[in-house]
Amino acid sequence: MMAALRNIVDSARNYGAKATGLLFERAEMLVVWQWLLLALVPLLIVLLYFLKLKRQPLQVPSTYLWHKSIEDLHVNSVWQRLRQSLLLYLQLLFIALVAWTLLRPTIQGKRLIGDRFIFLVDNSASMGATDVAPTRLDEAKKRAGELIDEMRTGDVAMLVSFSDGAKIEQSFSEDPRELRRRLDAIKQTDRSTSLAEALRVAAGLANPGRSSNREDAGDVQVAEAEPATLYIFSDGKFPKVKDFSLGHLAEKGREPNYVIIGEPDATNVAIGAFTTGRQEANPDHLQVFARLDNHCAEKVSVIAELSLNGELIDAKPIDIEPGDSTGVEYDPDKVETGVLKLSIDAKDALAIDNVAWTTINARRRGKVLFVTPENKPLEFALNTDRVRELADVTQRTPDFLAQPDYRKQADGGGYDLVIYDRCRPEQMPQANTLFIGRLPLSDGWRAGEMADVPQIIDVEQGHPLMQIVEMGNVLIVEGTPLFPPSGGTTLIDSQVGAMFAIGPREGYEDAVMGFMIVDQDKMGTDWPRFASFPVFVLNTIEYLAGTRSSLDSGSVRPGQPIAWRSDTPAERIQVRPPKGAPFEVSRGALNTFNVTSTADVGVYEVRAGDQALGSFAVNLFDGNESDVRPALELAVGDYKVEGKTSREPARRDLWKIVLLAALAVLLAEWYIYNRRVYV
Amino acid sequence: MPAPTPTSEILSPELLAQLERLELVSRKVFRGRMKGERRSKRKGQSVEFADFRNYSHGDDLRFIDWNSYARLDKLFLKLFFEEEDLHFYALIDASASMDFGDPTKLAYAKQLAASLAFIGLVRSDRVKIETVGQPARQSGPMWRGRRSLWPMLDHLEHISPGEPAPLAEGVKNFCLRNSGKGIVVLISDLMDKHGYTDALRYLMARQMDVYVIQVLSQEEIEPDVKGDLRLIDCEDEDMAEITVSAPLLKRYKQNLAAFVEGAREFCNRRGMSYILAKNQLPVDQLVSNYLRQRGLVR
Repeated sequence: MMAALRNIVDSARNYGAKATGLLFERAEMLVVWQWLLLALVPLLIVLLYFLKLKRQPLQVPSTYLWHKSIEDLHVNSVWQRLRQSLLLYLQLLFIALVAWTLLRPTIQGKRLIGDRFIFLVDNSASMGATDVAPTRLDEAKKRAGELIDEMRTGDVAMLVSFSDGAKIEQSFSEDPRELRRRLDAIKQTDRSTSLAEALRVAAGLANPGRSSNREDAGDVQVAEAEPATLYIFSDGKFPKVKDFSLGHLAEKGREPNYVIIGEPDATNVAIGAFTTGRQEANPDHLQVFARLDNHCAEKVSVIAELSLNGELIDAKPIDIEPGDSTGVEYDPDKVETGVLKLSIDAKDALAIDNVAWTTINARRRGKVLFVTPENKPLEFALNTDRVRELADVTQRTPDFLAQPDYRKQADGGGYDLVIYDRCRPEQMPQANTLFIGRLPLSDGWRAGEMADVPQIIDVEQGHPLMQIVEMGNVLIVEGTPLFPPSGGTTLIDSQVGAMFAIGPREGYEDAVMGFMIVDQDKMGTDWPRFASFPVFVLNTIEYLAGTRSSLDSGSVRPGQPIAWRSDTPAERIQVRPPKGAPFEVSRGALNTFNVTSTADVGVYEVRAGDQALGSFAVNLFDGNESDVRPALELAVGDYKVEGKTSREPARRDLWKIVLLAALAVLLAEWYIYNRRVYV
Repeated sequence: MPAPTPTSEILSPELLAQLERLELVSRKVFRGRMKGERRSKRKGQSVEFADFRNYSHGDDLRFIDWNSYARLDKLFLKLFFEEEDLHFYALIDASASMDFGDPTKLAYAKQLAASLAFIGLVRSDRVKIETVGQPARQSGPMWRGRRSLWPMLDHLEHISPGEPAPLAEGVKNFCLRNSGKGIVVLISDLMDKHGYTDALRYLMARQMDVYVIQVLSQEEIEPDVKGDLRLIDCEDEDMAEITVSAPLLKRYKQNLAAFVEGAREFCNRRGMSYILAKNQLPVDQLVSNYLRQRGLVR
């Protein structure tokens, strides 16, 4: 009993101390003369009240009784007047309340530590989740706003919004109103999240250019470090930030704060992938594949509906185990062009990933130039019905490479693929290439010593070029081991090195074969005897001549650029995004139209004047964003930032309530004056 | 045939019809001047038997009670009450302070005076309406009979507010002008800075049947004022600066109640009838209810 009493007394004392602290905290906002000025206001009102000379004249039948009444009351007249003046008291109370409002009264304040703050607000796709009403972004803005309100005079704060990139919404500013305005202006994006960029922005000011050589006394820092307290408002759904040091942002007393936005038990079912392909046996038939991910703790059942150009063509009920993914496959009838849309009827926190699109555009025939002295097996393989269907193959001898016609076509992007059999151009063409028995002139490609009968030990069948290409029994007479440039992939590996590799070059890809198929009337390999050879050639046409991508224009993630290839002679194409106004894109240097404004998910229509060229889709397809269960801690390099789920004990503003009270007093005064309520 | 009933702003036909059934009553029996419809102290010729007395020489033989003579062999004279007229005076205070209220206190006073006077006229009483501020030597007209209603109303309509005379002096002049006895109804707000007691004493000294009707307006009873005011007395421009507050209003009402109570007590002690009339109370109700209760009319 006594202990309980003591507890109560202690907590009361603590509360009192807190309240006193508060008073002083606010008090330091005013200087002495301001306090004096404030104190003068009520005095002035009282003085005016007594000195007011204006009395309304009113004629009455007789002042006889009034005089008598006044005389009766004239005893202690000052006191009497004060006692009568309820209105005066109300006016004083009103002024007091208004003054108090101006002092921004707060309760239960927690002082922000430090006087420089960096607020990082996540506005990636997952922040659109509605598990916290109305959305996580609104909640994050609210929390950040509370902290901005807590700032005192002299405090500065920077506001950064981040998704896959970071944007400084407001550089260091003392003006809370401006900060609030900028904070309110932060908009939801459909992009993925990367904290690293935001941290780099934040750290750029906190950790300015360090001395490169600490040993050297003459090497000084470029600028003084300006440490700041970091507040991250996010659901933490981004990859671990590696190779990054917070530096001054994590010094003692200024530990970064991670404010977790979102409910830990938030549920979401997402379309993780959605793509189309041709049936191998029947290339006219389209197959539609999708992957549904369940980011819930319970098994869910959804109905996945597939529609083509807005018309429902198939629907399937799907059960997905908790934390698992399920594939779903559709075999629609012959589909030439159109927009396929897959939607699931999940009632979950994030709606953006409950729908996905893919587009099927008219087949574009690839243009292939085959430069060879003579290569019967390859000629034969390039002359199949299937290849003729996919591409126009032009065969030329190596002397064609010196002709101006070739130069014009090669530099102007006239070809999708150039196959150089035992020859090579002086300048690389603006096209994908396949070099057979020669190295391209571009940087990065190197070759080793020629080796006899290299044994094939591995084939990279995961690569589209080598899909279902079986090379177990293939013999190679002699080959040169290849060293592709960085970013390159070895496709056929032998005991002496790569026999076939592919490497990137300015948006194109160069596939290089280290051995010859035909070497001066002799066979360089027995590969053409196997069924895998025409398959490989078909893969090459489909992949390198770009005919595969013309089936499914591919899906990019929000914010990622897409290179639109088109036969159109127009120099500009028009893109109509799902939201907002259409925009134009000029032909790029590589004969493609690079569309970079892909911020919103949905279908983007592409036109050249009146001619519809097709469309492409932007989908979320981001497991990190779709898994809306917030991360409990952030990892920045070796530093771990514990999340805070509970609401920051922010100073709650009272001024609105006080102002309302003042208005109520004003109303009461008006009522008393008009209704003649007297005390 | 009764004279055609005139209509006036002061008396409406409905009120006239209502008043016609009433008559003025005096608690005292006075001598009239002319034969009227009222029993007088004097014995005379009427149908109402009063007394017997012994016959004396020279008496009118027509009044001898022959039946008594036959039985008692003595001559007795039958005495009958004489029916005479009644003097009714209405004294209206037409000072500036009476020009307040809606209807104004003066208008109310006029209506009240007209009502009572009409009752008198119907009963062939002698009716005289005067104002307090009337010049000392100038006696007002006197009316009798229903036919006089119109001139009386005309006279009333010419009474305008703003007469400067103090109440006591006006009443004194009235008493000097009118020596006859009868009913006097003083209609005033009694709001005289010099007091009303002297005035009432003058009336009392005339041994008249005095009725004091104090007319107060609603604005005086429940002042509808707010804020800071400079009150100006309409009669003497006297000023009173007030800040309206609940205590002040309370005190004012207390003073008003004391004032009214003082007047009532003063009157009651001296055999006068005091009636408080609020200008919001319709005159017909005042006459038919209040004045009936107080015995002025029946």
